[in-house]
Amino acid sequence: MVQLGFFIDQTRCIGCQTCSVACKDWYDIQDESINFLKVKYFEKGKFPDIFISYLPTPCYHCSEPLCAIVCPEHAITKNEISGIVTIDQDKCVGNETCGAKCLKACPYDVPQFGSESNSKMQKCNFCINRLEKNLNPICVDACPLYAIEYGPIDELRLKHGNNYLATNFKYSNRCRPSIFHKPKLK
Amino acid sequence: MKTKIVNTGCCHDCGGRCVLKAHVSNGKINRFETDSGEDPQIRACLRGRAYRQRLYSKERLKYPLKRVGKRGDGKFERISWKEAIDIVASNLLRIKKKYGNSSILLIAGGGNQALLHGFLPVGAMLNNFGGFTRTWGIPSFEGTLFASMATYGTLNTGNHREDLLNSKMIIWFGWNPAVTIQDPGTSLILAKCREKGIKIIGIDPKYTDSIGIFAEQWVPIRPGTDAALLISMTYVIITKNLHNKEFIDKYSIGFEKYEEYILGKEDNIPKTPEWAEKITNVPAETIVRLAKEYATIKPAALIAGWGPARNLRGEQYARAANVLTVITGNIGIKGGFASGFMRAYPSRKVSHTKYVGNSASDKKKDQERNRDLFNPVELGYPPRPNSLYKLRGGTHPSSSRIHYNKIYDAMLKGKKGGYPTDIKMAYVVGSNPINQRSNSNLGVKAFNNLDYIIVHEQFMTATAKLADIILPINTFMERNDIAVPWLGSPYYIYLNKAINSMYESKSDLDICKMIAKKLKIRSKLLATPEKLLLRYFASKRKDIKNFRQMKKDGVLKVDVKEPYIAFKNQIEDPENFPFPTLSGKIEIYSEHIAEMNNSLLPPIPKYLEHNESIKSPHATKYPLQLITTHNRVRSHSTFHNMKWLDSIEEHCVWINPLDASPRQIQDGDIVYIFNDRGKIRIKATVTERIIPGTVDVTQGAWYHPDKDGTDIGGCANTLTIDSRSPGGACSMNDILVQISRTFSVDMEGS
Repeated sequence: MVQLGFFIDQTRCIGCQTCSVACKDWYDIQDESINFLKVKYFEKGKFPDIFISYLPTPCYHCSEPLCAIVCPEHAITKNEISGIVTIDQDKCVGNETCGAKCLKACPYDVPQFGSESNSKMQKCNFCINRLEKNLNPICVDACPLYAIEYGPIDELRLKHGNNYLATNFKYSNRCRPSIFHKPKLK
Repeated sequence: MKTKIVNTGCCHDCGGRCVLKAHVSNGKINRFETDSGEDPQIRACLRGRAYRQRLYSKERLKYPLKRVGKRGDGKFERISWKEAIDIVASNLLRIKKKYGNSSILLIAGGGNQALLHGFLPVGAMLNNFGGFTRTWGIPSFEGTLFASMATYGTLNTGNHREDLLNSKMIIWFGWNPAVTIQDPGTSLILAKCREKGIKIIGIDPKYTDSIGIFAEQWVPIRPGTDAALLISMTYVIITKNLHNKEFIDKYSIGFEKYEEYILGKEDNIPKTPEWAEKITNVPAETIVRLAKEYATIKPAALIAGWGPARNLRGEQYARAANVLTVITGNIGIKGGFASGFMRAYPSRKVSHTKYVGNSASDKKKDQERNRDLFNPVELGYPPRPNSLYKLRGGTHPSSSRIHYNKIYDAMLKGKKGGYPTDIKMAYVVGSNPINQRSNSNLGVKAFNNLDYIIVHEQFMTATAKLADIILPINTFMERNDIAVPWLGSPYYIYLNKAINSMYESKSDLDICKMIAKKLKIRSKLLATPEKLLLRYFASKRKDIKNFRQMKKDGVLKVDVKEPYIAFKNQIEDPENFPFPTLSGKIEIYSEHIAEMNNSLLPPIPKYLEHNESIKSPHATKYPLQLITTHNRVRSHSTFHNMKWLDSIEEHCVWINPLDASPRQIQDGDIVYIFNDRGKIRIKATVTERIIPGTVDVTQGAWYHPDKDGTDIGGCANTLTIDSRSPGGACSMNDILVQISRTFSVDMEGS
């Protein structure tokens, strides 16, 4: 398996959320509470000595996807070739029926259910259909700062270094997310 | 269903003109992509990416509407296009007959930034109808524009963005391209500048995203005092002998007079850092360091954003900034920057009609040459006082025009108030003046004073609500057009029509054709098919070599070989390339301005107080200074109420804890902001990211007065003052207000 992952240059992220809106447009997500890609904001300091940072947070398509492990319906699978973690909505029985086990297991709040009752899980699927057409994930092509890259995780490590760290991000040793960062640190 | 991809774009009045690729099937746009072609890619921002929510919004105006209730009640009935055109034509004829053409005020805003719609067709129609009254003074940049013309005689003062990578230091005032775009790609270049180790300093009342992400240092400044900071930096540079005397002597005039003011020989007040500290709240030692760094790190780019010039003495700041770039010799060289208006590559032809002088034969010739562009109402008017009428390429100086921020006063007072005419009709296109001009409450009063109001609109804006007739307009996705960038990036966007017009909406151009036909007006422009008009524009541009290719690709990126550097020729070869000023040199001192003999518009840049300054007597009642900046989810009042965008940034007022705490305001509280002009209700964000004493309400939120007159939409212009600087700057920043958690009790706050 060649594990695909993301590299995010946090030092470039201006928090514009173009990635997030482009994603909603591509997948036609009209439910406001659903976000496949959230941009987190961090601020500290007192006037006039202030620090801010933003961080786009897609699904990290973890090496050990806890969401898949806990799903009672085996609706979440990790692709054997790409390592992409996807949900089979036909198998998902809804968050109220199962108690949203995947969401509780995920340290990054990735699984999304929306506002309707007993919704089926949705999440970032690495734009698998775009990848099949040799297109980049929509967020990668959308970012005006070219701050999001993707590729086989080993190649990203070689290119950008072995750094998981970022402000507003905690690396989970349990699920081992497929992500490298160039962090914006104070 | 087969999907076709149509190359189009998003060209509202933000700082971008961007590529959108519409995926269309079955006559519907299902999704967008953006530029995926050669670098530099012109990637749309979140507003463009959310366009489907605008296009398919339930709130789109669908049919021509006629008012049936009282003005402003918002009661309209659907009518046919035939009836609508009949009504518009008959009212135009009625008003013309009864009051004359000058009683028709055309309010054409920036809602559409492509070529064929908005002002162009309505202007052509009304010119051929006998003319109309026009406005002057753009809220975004009029102060900067005046200063750019006064100092350099041109608006083309910018280097290409890529050239910032050649700078050793970048210092900006009130500039936030992370939000205001300032041509696509600007943020990316600033990121690269930072990565290259270029020192970036941002001067702003707010810790903006641009400062937080790109800058090494934030220098917080009290709004409206940037001129004082710049002037004291000049003091430091002169007294430390760091100015470039050779450059000053060779390329500019009037330095000695400015030096007298700076050193205090004119008014006994040396403009020391200590003097400026008291005004700006910037520590004197910071000013000294800034000045020394800017004068010694070469080349350096000083970027004077438009925002700080949006106040009652706005042009002084912008001129002081220009002069600072001059005395350090940062002009016409790679990595330098002349500041000024900042337009670079002239892909956007600045439209300015020739000044109509008094020679009868000249006028006649002008008129015959182009009846679409010639406005008979303006015939014979002398130049406006305080206008740079001897220069070409700036704002039209005719005194027949009414300043944008004074249209309400003019509607209410007319000739008796000293205005050139009595206004009876407003014809509004691509504009939402009630929301976007100062003093919204006065705007409503003034509009209600009119005989008839025609509005072209896509949504039921505060202005449309006051209309007697509303004509529904289609969007970029529903028509063909060409758009050119704002600040001179070298590209063109070709907007291909992606879908048919929704409901019964039509384009401004098509509507004007219908009205012209009804009025039996003969207009060359309106008789020309849309495609030929676009071809005609393209034929006028040498850099558009292949029209078909541009249309096919949806974008044409002009190969400029190397980044454009403003005034390169003037600096390298001054004999053959004089500056386009009256003296042929950079004018630190302007004789043209001196002739105006106006102490509020001195021939050299000065720091001047005004009625809304923090030192004005009004400040005892309204002790906080309001700024009205841009946010990332709107382009002015466009993109209101789009879920994808609203969920990103909630409309709120930024207030420092030092101002919030004595008023018992906590983060998330609903508060009232008020002054003599109005009051708004809005959520408070208590944040360290704004200088104490200042509050920020982003402009563009929709004006929505409740039954008691409180604007619960939180429109910033409910609070701004309908006044202007002598040079024409609209006063959208530096406005005195008070804030309170409750309105009835505790008015004083602290």
